[in-house]
Amino acid sequence: MEPLDTHISRQYNADLENIRTLVLQMGGLVEQQIEHAITSLVQGNVALAEAVIVADFKVNNLEVTIDEDCNQIIARRQPTAGDLRLVLMVIKTITDLERIGDEAEKIARMAVQLINEERPKNNYTEIQTLGTHVRQMVHNALDAYARMDTVAAVRVAGDDRQIDKEYEGIMRQMITFMMEDPRTITRALHVMWAARALERIGDHARNICEYVIYQVKGKDVRHISLEQMEKEVVGNS
Amino acid sequence: MSENAMDLLKSEAKNLNFYYGEYQALKNINLTVAEKRITALIGPSGCGKSTFLRCFNRMHDLYPGNRYDGQITLYPDDVNILNPKIDPIEVRMRIGMVFQKPNPFPKTIYENVAYGLRVRGISNRRKLDEKVEKALCGAALWNEVKDRLNSLAFNLSGGQQQRLCIARALATDPEMMLFDEPTSALDPIATASIEELIAQLKEQVTILIVTHNMQQAARVSDYTAFMHMGEVVEFADTNTIFTNPSQKRTEDYITGRYG
Amino acid sequence: MPGMSVEVMRGLIARRKRWDIIFSIIGLFAMLGGVVTLVALIAAMAIDGLPRISWDFFTSFPSRHAAKAGILSAWVGTTLVMMVTVLSAVPLGVAAGVYLEEYATKNWMTDLIEINVTNLAGVPSIVYGLLALGLFVYQLDLGQSILAAGLTLAILILPVVIVATREAIRSIPGTIREGAFALGATKWQTVSQHVLPYSTAGILTGVIIGLSRAIGETAPLITIGALTYIAFLPDTPFKGEFPYVSFDWLTSAFTVMPIQMFNWVSRPQEEFHYNAAAAGLVLIVMTLIMNALAIYIRYHFRKRIKW
Repeated sequence: MEPLDTHISRQYNADLENIRTLVLQMGGLVEQQIEHAITSLVQGNVALAEAVIVADFKVNNLEVTIDEDCNQIIARRQPTAGDLRLVLMVIKTITDLERIGDEAEKIARMAVQLINEERPKNNYTEIQTLGTHVRQMVHNALDAYARMDTVAAVRVAGDDRQIDKEYEGIMRQMITFMMEDPRTITRALHVMWAARALERIGDHARNICEYVIYQVKGKDVRHISLEQMEKEVVGNS
Repeated sequence: MSENAMDLLKSEAKNLNFYYGEYQALKNINLTVAEKRITALIGPSGCGKSTFLRCFNRMHDLYPGNRYDGQITLYPDDVNILNPKIDPIEVRMRIGMVFQKPNPFPKTIYENVAYGLRVRGISNRRKLDEKVEKALCGAALWNEVKDRLNSLAFNLSGGQQQRLCIARALATDPEMMLFDEPTSALDPIATASIEELIAQLKEQVTILIVTHNMQQAARVSDYTAFMHMGEVVEFADTNTIFTNPSQKRTEDYITGRYG
Repeated sequence: MPGMSVEVMRGLIARRKRWDIIFSIIGLFAMLGGVVTLVALIAAMAIDGLPRISWDFFTSFPSRHAAKAGILSAWVGTTLVMMVTVLSAVPLGVAAGVYLEEYATKNWMTDLIEINVTNLAGVPSIVYGLLALGLFVYQLDLGQSILAAGLTLAILILPVVIVATREAIRSIPGTIREGAFALGATKWQTVSQHVLPYSTAGILTGVIIGLSRAIGETAPLITIGALTYIAFLPDTPFKGEFPYVSFDWLTSAFTVMPIQMFNWVSRPQEEFHYNAAAAGLVLIVMTLIMNALAIYIRYHFRKRIKW
């Protein structure tokens, strides 16, 4: 990747820098949403959960703004090569970020639902653990994005496997609960929904890592195994 | 845009150097031109792209002190067109050219298109009529001028004049056509119609085009070569050049950065 | 506001524009000085000569009696000499111009030739007369004939024709030439089908300007021995019987308009001076007609060509 601030047109430098900054800002907001959603669920904090639900419009607004900015750049500058990949990947990244926002909102809604249920003895430790991992993964993915670090991107993408495993663990646990005591079915279903949302967030984070690799290397690494991805990144950098 | 390894080779420059007197304008150029495809040459002013183009029809022979070194092979007969034993007129009869500024002769529309045929000794009126119509149709100009073939070419608009020049080159059925910044003197609408015409022409003829408009190269060409300071810096299919060039100099140029 | 008030700016503009007015007045007087003198000269000549101009004036030979004298032999002589001049100077001059512009390689030799040709146009005409006397009259033994006179004037205007040809050829854009070459034309095809046709206007203009200089020349023709008193016409070039053309006129003795004028002016009698004024008027009209023709040709050919 060429540095962004070396175009002959200073306005072009500023435009590209601006969308990148907005993406990182949107990422920060989404990260916060995830954290609050998990906290509200684990601690049974309805006010916090409702704040998360309300705040989702901020994420949506940012998506629309960045989309418009990208349209403007394409229409007026006809970006090529690295610039083209940057703009295209911004457009895709914000779609994934917006979905992550939606998933966080979903978790917050589950938190509101769970208030009516009896709290389990373990205080939703499994969601707490999975949530922490997922939030860390999103954080690392955005970090790789900010630094355009392909090696970090591959590593973060690999974390998705761990997340999937934890999610499967929660599923099995919930099924066991439901079989043991049918009164817990409602609660277990809500927990499963929240876990499912967290697992989806992991998938979106992985997508962002793939975009980082495409943006830097110009290589499409979607729908291939982690090992191949690693090879693509290391090979002729 | 279709580019693949199956493309046939029409021409190939091998270790080509070119000198204006003492000044070396082209440095060790190697480039292939695929048959019935559009190959674009882009690069900053003075990078040698027009100089390179004009090697293909030996235009430099018109002026003293110019010297070629290396070869440009024309297929399928595998002949080196830079060989001093080959008459430049023979080369120009096989490879047509369209210039930067429309340059119709101060003659009628008909005589402009017929000129290349007359040079070749064709004077049979019916044959001329037929070829002139075909060439004007090929250049998407027939419908606009068929009722005034005997009016002067200067009465046409700039875009029409350039299409007339394309028809003039097309009339003699060249194997390859060279375009030297063909739209730089035209407005955007005329430019669009010339680009569309060039895109259609590749059905029948191999095209090599020099353009200082990168977007034009991106729009019309199958292959693109980026030239800088008399060298070919990067040559690849157009998609690769414009989405993921491998050379930093190429990327800097096409994204509008300091060279 | 850029640094100064509008009032100050207006003052500055007015002061600077004062020079426009001053110069336009000076220029007007300079121009009037030239034009008035010229008009006065022509008017004086017209007053003296106009009464003498009649049909008889054109159809009579010179005579001892001023009232009977005419310019028949003079204008026929002038016409025939000009024919020879045109027929020899144009092919030579155009060919030389085309060669220098299109064929000759550019080096110090062609530069030298170019400088010489340009300078030749400024050589006094009497020098050409001396050259012609030696070369045509004695060396080639052409005698004091129309042919010798025509060739003399041809040499005189050759530099003008060459320079005009080269200028006309140079004004054709290189892209037109390249366009022809790019279609596979040979050099000769390019020259004969493009370069010459497109530069015709310029070449013709140059030829006519040269001729209007030649038509008034006296000195070189006197040098080679033109007669001042001729009471016969040369053999006619066109005949009623086979082979219909004759070249006997080329070797005939001759006189021309300016020499006839010179002859009359140098006579003591007042009446002959009126004859001279009348002949001068005819000569001026001939020159004006030729210049008008040059302007018309330029306009006519330029209409087709835009670059």
